[in-house]
Amino acid sequence: MAGAERLRVEVIPLGPVDEVSVSVVAANIQTFIGLAVDVAPPWPEPAYALIPVRGQYNALPILKALSEGAGTDIRRLGLLAGDLCLPILTHVFGEAQVNGRAAVVSLRRLKQGRNGQRAPTHLLLERLAKVAVHEMSHVLGLKHCRSPRCLMSFSLGIEQLDALSLRFCPDCERLIARRILR
Amino acid sequence: MSTLNIMVVDDEEAMRESLAAWLESSGHEVGLAENGSKALDLLGGAGYDLVLLDIKMPGMDGHELLRRIRERHPGIMVVMITAYGSIESAVAAMKEGANDYLLKPFDPKQLMLLIEKMANQKEMMAEYRLVRTRLSELEGAGFKDLIGGSEPMRAVFRRIEEVAQADIPVLITGETGTGKELVARAIHARSVRNCGPFVAINCGAVPEQLLESELFGHERGAFTGAVRTRIGRLEMADRGSLFLDEVGEISAQMQVNLLRALEEKRFLRVGGSREVESDFRLICATHRNMQALVEAGRVRSDFFYRINVISIHVPPLKERGDDITLLARHFVQQFSREISKPLQELTPSAYRLLARHSWPGNVRELLNVIERAVVVSRGPLIDASDLTFLGPEPEATKSGATLKEVEALHVRRTLEECDWNVSRASEILGINRGTLTRHIKKHELKKPC
Repeated sequence: MAGAERLRVEVIPLGPVDEVSVSVVAANIQTFIGLAVDVAPPWPEPAYALIPVRGQYNALPILKALSEGAGTDIRRLGLLAGDLCLPILTHVFGEAQVNGRAAVVSLRRLKQGRNGQRAPTHLLLERLAKVAVHEMSHVLGLKHCRSPRCLMSFSLGIEQLDALSLRFCPDCERLIARRILR
Repeated sequence: MSTLNIMVVDDEEAMRESLAAWLESSGHEVGLAENGSKALDLLGGAGYDLVLLDIKMPGMDGHELLRRIRERHPGIMVVMITAYGSIESAVAAMKEGANDYLLKPFDPKQLMLLIEKMANQKEMMAEYRLVRTRLSELEGAGFKDLIGGSEPMRAVFRRIEEVAQADIPVLITGETGTGKELVARAIHARSVRNCGPFVAINCGAVPEQLLESELFGHERGAFTGAVRTRIGRLEMADRGSLFLDEVGEISAQMQVNLLRALEEKRFLRVGGSREVESDFRLICATHRNMQALVEAGRVRSDFFYRINVISIHVPPLKERGDDITLLARHFVQQFSREISKPLQELTPSAYRLLARHSWPGNVRELLNVIERAVVVSRGPLIDASDLTFLGPEPEATKSGATLKEVEALHVRRTLEECDWNVSRASEILGINRGTLTRHIKKHELKKPC
């Protein structure tokens, strides 16, 4: 497991993010992916990525900023309270550089509950863990999976995200193991 | 859902890059173009399935590019991208032949559903083409091109009927040119897989270093020049039959890889890390003695037993008696039609000449001979004189010819076959040069001017 010992993940709050959310993300990445995780001090809110007319953050410059300066053995996951998007898409829960060094996850839409209510905390944290592990797996090179129950399948919306279990299909599990040993 | 090769055409870099990033994370392959001319250049060289095309671009706009794509690449699907508020423009594009449109920015769910729809459309089109091909093959299916009334061929037909439905590997043996692939196609056409593809590869014709990629496919970047993911023959043959011709030429390492794929029905593409499943029936053919190759250590015994569950031997043409006449007549009709000549017929002397030939190249040689004769003959009949390249009809072999006449004829024919190369002819005749020279003098044979 020499490779696994070398590769580390840094979880970085981008602006104000509650400590519980950060800890849950760190613990789940460590558990489900098997990489050592450090929680880094918060970075400032990424004002450079804000699209004022949409009130959303563009994920691409954030990924660029996160990956810059990350050593070859470091993978970074940014956590953002604000809403995240791509210029071409209305929103994303998270975004990652496939086979790259960085991913970013937004808490904003994960808080959405039924009938416009805020989701209960346990549900929010479960969703956050799923999206964070999913995006970090993209960073390790995994793409969307066709197995409908696999964590790497694409969620069409929050309901589908809730229907997913926090586990990989055997194929993706094998791929994760290979990637961290590489 | 199958993965697609998608081109994104948009003059805004942020749009192109963000769409590419999102599509790639779903496993699709993405090419980018910032304007219409670059898009047309790229579309000419690679097999794109779908173009996501922004309507509003400087220079050639989306409508113009759509028209050109429809002219040059009618099989490529096109989805127009337009800003909110320009829906009329999108509707106009649909009338011009676009498959769908998206208003940007789009909801990820909407984009995913549209990509799925396009992938399904691609699969449906592929299936439609396949069914159309299969249907045309199945018209008069089975033994359509396998002609023969001789007992050895009747035994082959019976064997095909027996094994076709069994869905187990078959090894077809026989000399080169005997029609082993036609036998394989007949098995496929009569099997439960006849609506699936029949995928053939000649293993002896593909260099060793390329064979692995041909059979198993490769991922993009697997080796220099692998610019796109490519599926291999095993994957193409899913739900159909895979025909490996000249299977005796496969290297030991490749035998191991194939054996594993045959047993597990799953394999890795070259450079791949995710296993691919394929359910195919294996049909192999060889002109070699596989048992001898096993004994010589050139073919692994486990591989041999895996591919040789049932075998069919296709007899050489010289052992098929009157089939030569049947086949010759069939080929004459076929080639007459192909080159729009009035229907021709072979004369009795031409038939006799064909029947006497040893046909080392088997049916393929006969086919070539007849094609040549149909082309060069001038009248409605093809005579022995149109087949001089096979040698003249041996007048002296009729009963009543003397031994001297037969000897003279045989020496002359051998010399003609060797283009009067005395050394080569003496080797064939099994005599030395001096003896042959004496025979030439004795029979007063002369090289034609």
